[in-house]
Amino acid sequence: MTMSDDMSGDAQRRIETYLSRLRQRLRGVNDRDAREIIEELRSHIMDKAAASGKVAGEAHGELTPAAVDAALAGLGSPEELASQYITDDLLAQAEVSRSPVRILKSLFRWASLSVAGFFVLLGSIGGYFFGAVFVLVAVAKLFHPRTAGLWVFPNGSGDFEMSFRLGFGSTPAGGRDVLGWWIVPIGWLVGCGLVMLTTYIALWFVRQYRKSLVFPQG
Amino acid sequence: MVKRDDTRDLETADKWEVQLRKGCLELAILAALWEGKLYGLEILRRLESDSDLIVSEGTVYPLLSRLKALGLVQSEWVESDAGHPRKYYALTSAGRQRVGQMAGMWTRFSSSMSRLLAPLAKGK
Repeated sequence: MTMSDDMSGDAQRRIETYLSRLRQRLRGVNDRDAREIIEELRSHIMDKAAASGKVAGEAHGELTPAAVDAALAGLGSPEELASQYITDDLLAQAEVSRSPVRILKSLFRWASLSVAGFFVLLGSIGGYFFGAVFVLVAVAKLFHPRTAGLWVFPNGSGDFEMSFRLGFGSTPAGGRDVLGWWIVPIGWLVGCGLVMLTTYIALWFVRQYRKSLVFPQG
Repeated sequence: MVKRDDTRDLETADKWEVQLRKGCLELAILAALWEGKLYGLEILRRLESDSDLIVSEGTVYPLLSRLKALGLVQSEWVESDAGHPRKYYALTSAGRQRVGQMAGMWTRFSSSMSRLLAPLAKGK
């Protein structure tokens, strides 16, 4: 093995290491798209490294480790690059779909990438959860008119506690159904309102985040 | 105190410049493809040589893939002398229409800004 073979082997290894790290982090992107991304970047790295090698007087086709490193540095870390592809892909889907399931799915992805994403995910889960509870109780009231609803009852330690009941089991002793039949319209209104509001706020955050991804600072 | 204000002014000006460049990048990429198909590195070089937009490679490739998802560009692999295929991008008809609109907006906007800024140039 000659010295130059060794050098170009080393250069190849660097490219493959970078690309396999990138590939690992492109989870969630479908296989065909991921393969395209990898092939496109491989072609970019080889062109870029070959061009800087030429300037440095290397023979055509010889990739030096230094030239490859410079090309890789231009792309940024595989983690950062992958997150731009992935999140953009998923958040783009979320933006057009407006379905809570889609939104939560992309928020999960975002949460795995950044602290901000984690908090937006947490808030959205809370918002959807309470929205769903209101609607559920409103529906349950139709089937269990006497027991379902928003109840207030003594909790034994002298305080009162408020809870949504779906109407299973008996009513708590000394409890009062606060809203009565009003839970049906109020439950639907507040529940749907909460789901819409959560979607609206989550998408606002998603859009802000996407802007910073497509055009990162600096 | 004065010094701190100066730094803040400088930071604000920097941020403004960053925002300005960011806002133009999508238009710049689409415009670079106006005359025909190019591959990623060619687009980057075009942007570097024909404009002083400072563009990072890690930004342009994901943005190209987003423009493709939006249907503004399409891509094809073409074999090259370099021994590996290259991914070429071209405007779709929707992309052509969009970049035309964007260019029109840009021209109107920049000429009205130039009128507004004319007194500053005279004062120099």
